[in-house]
Amino acid sequence: MSDTQWPRFMVFQQEAEAKPFVHNGTVHAPDIEMALLNARDVFARRPQAVAMWVVPADSIFTQTREELAKGLSQKSSDHPINGLTDYFVFGKFEEQAQCRHIGEVEASSPPEAIQAAIKKYGDQNPLWWWVFPKADVLTSQPQDASPMFEPSRAKTFKDQAEYPVVTMMREIRAKKK
Amino acid sequence: MKRAKPLSDYLVALADDELILGHRDSEWTGHAPILEEDIAFANFALDEIGHARLWYELAADELGADRSRFPDQQVYFRPAPDWRCLQLVELPKGDWAFSMLRQYLFDSFEKFRLEGLVASSNKPMADVAARIRNEELYHQRHTQAWVPRLGQGTDESHRRMQAALDELWPYAQALSAPLPGELELIGVVPKSSELFEKWKDEVTKFLSKSSLEIPITTTRVDVDRAVHSEYFPALIADLQEVAQADPQAQW
Repeated sequence: MSDTQWPRFMVFQQEAEAKPFVHNGTVHAPDIEMALLNARDVFARRPQAVAMWVVPADSIFTQTREELAKGLSQKSSDHPINGLTDYFVFGKFEEQAQCRHIGEVEASSPPEAIQAAIKKYGDQNPLWWWVFPKADVLTSQPQDASPMFEPSRAKTFKDQAEYPVVTMMREIRAKKK
Repeated sequence: MKRAKPLSDYLVALADDELILGHRDSEWTGHAPILEEDIAFANFALDEIGHARLWYELAADELGADRSRFPDQQVYFRPAPDWRCLQLVELPKGDWAFSMLRQYLFDSFEKFRLEGLVASSNKPMADVAARIRNEELYHQRHTQAWVPRLGQGTDESHRRMQAALDELWPYAQALSAPLPGELELIGVVPKSSELFEKWKDEVTKFLSKSSLEIPITTTRVDVDRAVHSEYFPALIADLQEVAQADPQAQW
């Protein structure tokens, strides 16, 4: 492979203390610490955030409802993990919705973590399950919250919709006629 | 020269540094080596220009000027010789190592200055400093993360960082000089010479840890903020061109 891109990291963002972490997008970075900083710059300037997680994209194991119904499962050996470890469980509930935090399970491989998640949270029945080892996540620290997320709240910005470009163009065209 | 308004002179100099550094940062928009850093540098640029606005507004209050118009007047209609920024922030953006290292050197110094200003007896200034400092903590974390990664990354990144440091170091020495008005504001604002010693100690250690060698400075850079680099007139012409083409335009 001649891919010179940096590795990909998934970004999860918490909008307020009581809200679940939701998947917000992806950043490239040379390592996970830079990924957290890049995530802040790319995703936390406009929307509000109180905390952020980044995790290597390769650490995320996903299964769809359909795959599970057909009994398809990837081999555990693709994701070797030594011994029992904690996994975060996320679910996507609608095609257009972002994947959001459901809970945590303990398992010895990603496919087992999915099975454990179904056992524990199966009644929620998401379209997609995502699991990833807790140990692979870098989380913003409470003391980072103020310099990382506070300043964007004080910034005034105009929503795109506030620029009356469409109306203006219509008026200009009308005058030309 | 007797200064009738040492505080507004001081504030305008603070603002000028931020505005010109922000302008140089903005030149990376669309040109940074990777999308994420392009966005990060655009953020730095907006933040620094925002900080400049806050200082210009305080200067306007001090002068009894209209704080909603003063920043634009200063930025778009003031002739180049009247600016009071450091030559350090005027230098062209160079390569990415150069811009990153300049940002690190400047922000590290600013951190110490803001600490001093947060404790100032001048309440409006202390309040603005506190607001700016919070955002600068994040800038510092970002640039501080890059310095060792580039200093110790590849042969090429090390070479570029060392070349950037060799060029920037003589200009950074001017941080030790008092700002306009500073000597008349003893007790209200921190002394640049004292901040410089703290700064030098911190960055020297950090740069050495990042495998970069502190150059022995031989080039003398003028510390007088009324003296500008050869690059400055073109920068100002570029910055002011659109606003001056139609001063009455509404945005």
